[in-house]
Amino acid sequence: MIDGTRRTRKRLTSALGLGLVTALALGACAAPESGSASSAGGSSSLMLAADNGSPTFTRNFNPFVIEKRNMSLIINEPLMVVNALDGKSTNFLQSDFTQPDAKTIVSTIREGVTWSDGEEFTPDDVLFTYALLQEFPALDTTGVWSRLESVTAEGQDVTFTLKAEDSSAPISVLAVPIVPEHIWAEQADPVTFTNENPIGTGPYVLGDFNANQYTMTKNETYWQADKVAAEELVLPAANSQLDVVNNGYDWAYSFMSDVENTWVAADEGNEYWFPAGGTVGIAPNLTKAPYNDPNFRKGMSLALERDAIAENASEGTVDAAGQQGLLLPTQSEWLTDAIPDEGMVTQDTAAAEAAFAEAGYTLSGGKLVDANGTQATMTITTPNGWTDWLRAVQEIQKQYTAMGIDVKVNQPQPAAYFQAVQNGDFDVAMTSFGGNGSVYQGYYNLLSSDFFHPIGESAPSNYQRYSNPEVDALLTEFRMSVDENRQKEIAGELQEVMYNEVPIISVYYAGLWGLVSNKSFTGWPSAEDPYMTPTPYTSSALVVLTTITKVDS
Amino acid sequence: MWYLLRKLGLLLLTAWAAITLNFLLPRLMPGTPADAAIAKLAQNGPVDPATRAAIEAQLGVPTGDAWSQYVQYLGNVLHLDFGVSYTFFPQSVSSLIMNALPWTLVMVGLVTIVAFILGTLLGVLAAWKRGTWLDTPPTLGGTFTSAFPYFWTALLLVFFLGYELKWFPTSGAYGRESTPTMSLAFISDAIGHAWLPAITILITSLGGWILGMRNNMINTLGDDYVTFAEANGLHSRTVAVKYAARNAILPNLTGFGLALGGVVGGSLLVEQVFNYPGVGYLLFNAVTNQDFPLMQALFLMITISVLLANFLVDILYGLLDPRTRR
Repeated sequence: MIDGTRRTRKRLTSALGLGLVTALALGACAAPESGSASSAGGSSSLMLAADNGSPTFTRNFNPFVIEKRNMSLIINEPLMVVNALDGKSTNFLQSDFTQPDAKTIVSTIREGVTWSDGEEFTPDDVLFTYALLQEFPALDTTGVWSRLESVTAEGQDVTFTLKAEDSSAPISVLAVPIVPEHIWAEQADPVTFTNENPIGTGPYVLGDFNANQYTMTKNETYWQADKVAAEELVLPAANSQLDVVNNGYDWAYSFMSDVENTWVAADEGNEYWFPAGGTVGIAPNLTKAPYNDPNFRKGMSLALERDAIAENASEGTVDAAGQQGLLLPTQSEWLTDAIPDEGMVTQDTAAAEAAFAEAGYTLSGGKLVDANGTQATMTITTPNGWTDWLRAVQEIQKQYTAMGIDVKVNQPQPAAYFQAVQNGDFDVAMTSFGGNGSVYQGYYNLLSSDFFHPIGESAPSNYQRYSNPEVDALLTEFRMSVDENRQKEIAGELQEVMYNEVPIISVYYAGLWGLVSNKSFTGWPSAEDPYMTPTPYTSSALVVLTTITKVDS
Repeated sequence: MWYLLRKLGLLLLTAWAAITLNFLLPRLMPGTPADAAIAKLAQNGPVDPATRAAIEAQLGVPTGDAWSQYVQYLGNVLHLDFGVSYTFFPQSVSSLIMNALPWTLVMVGLVTIVAFILGTLLGVLAAWKRGTWLDTPPTLGGTFTSAFPYFWTALLLVFFLGYELKWFPTSGAYGRESTPTMSLAFISDAIGHAWLPAITILITSLGGWILGMRNNMINTLGDDYVTFAEANGLHSRTVAVKYAARNAILPNLTGFGLALGGVVGGSLLVEQVFNYPGVGYLLFNAVTNQDFPLMQALFLMITISVLLANFLVDILYGLLDPRTRR
C-alpha cells in the first residue's frame, strides 16, 4: 500500500492525462477486491480489450481503413497469418503455399469454405481483393503492390508474380484480408464503404453493435468450427486500465502499471506476457557532426546502461536490447558468432571515453569537449505523452550527462515528432524498429538507402539516414536468396554492421502488452509456448482464437 | 437602438476575425494529418514504410494554395458544410458534432446553469449574513474547491464513488449494452452515467460563483444608496435582493455569458476522464489527430457561441443597468 501511494505521487508530478487517471486509481489500491465484477468461471463468452472507442465506436467494418473496427480483421481472413515473433506462418484461406523461385509465390486456395452469407468462397474472391488494392492504393496499407507485378489464378492455385526476387514477400503479400467479391464489387467507392453488415469467412460474425460495445458470435459454418472455443466475443469501447482490472476481461492488450499488483492480483488465473515486439532505440542523425563519426556513436552505445533504462521505461517487464538488431529470444537462430556476447553491449565508461577520444572528444573538468574546448551537446527528440519512452529518455539523459554531454530533451506532439524525424530535423531521436516477423524486412527498413532522403525531405523509414552501398548489396542478396543458410550468413554480416558501425543505438525491447485470464479459456500464447503474439487487435487473433480451449467448469 | 446596432456590428467583426483565426491556427500546428495517423499506429509498434502512402491517399491531403483553401473555407462556413473528418474518416464533421453536442449541451449546460444559480444565491446569502454560519462554510469551502483541478476531482470521484463504493458507473454516457432511444429506461441509464461528471463540474465551478457574488455584494452593501434604503426602513430582504444583489450581479452575469458560451466547447478534461462522448472529447481527438476539418468546425462553433452569449449578456446588461445604454 505504501509503495503504491509513493508511486502515485511520483506519477502525479511527472505525467498528466488519462494514463495518470488510471495509474492513480490503480496505484492507490494495491489489493483490489478479487473477482469483483467478473462472471463465474467457465463462461463461454470471451471479453476482449482489443478495440478502443474514441470514446465510442463508429460502425465501420472496412478492414482496409485506419478507423476500422479491429474485429473486421478476423471476419475477413487472410491467406495466412504470420507470427511476428519468429516469422512462422499459419494457413487460413490457403491450404498451402510454395515459392518455386524468389520471384513467384503460388498459393493453393482452401476448398470447401463459404462466406457467412452462404455463398461459396473461390479463388476469384482472392483475385478480386488483390485487384481492389491495385485499383485503390488508399486501401493497400501494407504496400503489397509495391512488390507485386501480377496476380493470376489457375484452378485453386493463385500465382503471385513479384516485381523482383524477394524471398521475404510472402509474409506481407499473403497477409491481406480477403473480402467477398459479391458484396464489394457493387461498391462505387470502397474507400468510404463502411461495410456495416460485414460478410466474411472468419470464425465469428458480427452480433450486436452498440456505440459502447459490440459482440461477435461464433460462425457455425466456419471451416474449422471445431477449433473455435468461445461462443461469443464481447468488445467494450472503454478499456482503461481501471476497466481492464475490474471488469473481468479474458484477453486484453494494455500496458498495465505495476502489473503484478494490479492485473495479476485482480483475479485468479490472470497472467501477463510481454514479449519483444520491436526494438526501441535512439537514432543519431548521421548527417550531423559528431553523429556522422562511428567512433562517437560507439561511445554513445558503450556509455549506456541499458538494463537501467529498460527497468525505468517499463517497470522491469521488458529486457535490454542487444546491438545486433534482432528480437531475442525468438530470433536467436539468426545470431552470428562474429560478435561477442550475442551482440549485447554493457556499460563500459572507460571504453566509451576511449571511443569518444577517437572521435575527438575528451573529458575536461567533467565535460566532454572537442578540440576547441566546446562541450558536446545533444537534443533527444521523443513524442509528448509516450510516458514509457519519456522515462527511457530521462534515464538516457542522466547517463549521458554523467559522461559530460550536455543533453536536452525535446518533446513535440506525436504528429510533430513524426514530421521532425521523417524530415531529419533532429540530433538524436527515440524510435522503434523491427517486429514484423522478417529479419530481412527489419534490416531493410532500418538500413536501406532506398529510404534515404536528404534532410528536409520526408523519409518513411531509416530516419537516421544511413547509406552504405555494401549494406545495400547485402540487403539485395538477402532479399533475392531463398537459401536459408546464405540468408543467415548475410544476416550475420548485417549484425556486424549494426555492432561495429552503430547506425542506430538499440536500447530495449518494446513490449507487446498481453494480459490473459485462464479462468474460462486456456492455451494462450506465453513465453513457454510463443505460438503467436498476444495482439488481439490484429489478424493474429485468428490463430489464438482457434487455439485456446474452454476450461471445464 | 444605436446601442444595439453598435453591439451587432462588433459581433460581426469579431465573428469574421474568429473565423479567419480558425482557419489559420490549425495550419500553424507542426505535423500533418498523415503524421498524426502514423503516430497513432506507431503506439502499437513500428509502422511499415508503405503505410504512409496509403494513409495519405485515404485522407486526401488538402489541395490548392492557402488563399484558395481560405476562399473555399469561407464558402463552406456560409453553407455550414465542414467536409469529412480525418480522424473518423469517412464520417462527416457535421454528423460527428450532431452526435456529440446533445451530450455536452444537456450535461455540461444544465450543470453550468445550476452552478450559477446556486452559487449566486449562496453568495448573496453569505454577503448578507456576513460572519455567520451562512457565510463561513460556503466561502471557505468555495475557496477550497475552486482550487481543485477538474481532472483531480474527477479522479477522486471515480476512485471513491465509482470504484470503491460502486454508486455510479465510472465511464461512458450510457450502459455498454444500451442504444440511444427516447425510452424511459435509456434516459434513466443516461442520467445515472451523468452524475459523476456533473458532480465534478459542480464542485469545481460552484466556488467561483459564490466568491464572485459575495465579494461584489459586499462592495455594493457598503454603498450609500444601500445605507439610505436601510435608513428609510425598507425590509432587509428587499434591500438585499432589489438594491444590493441587482447591482452586484452584473460582473457575475458577464462570467455566466462566457461560461454558457464555453459549454458547447464541452469540458475537455472531465469528458476525457469519464469517457463521455461529448464535444470536449471530440475536440481532444481533433487536436491530437491534426483533424483540420473537425477542428475548424468545433472552434467555429465555440467562438460563435461565446460571441452570441456575450451579445445576449450585453443586451441583458442594457436592461439591468440603464447606464450602459448611453
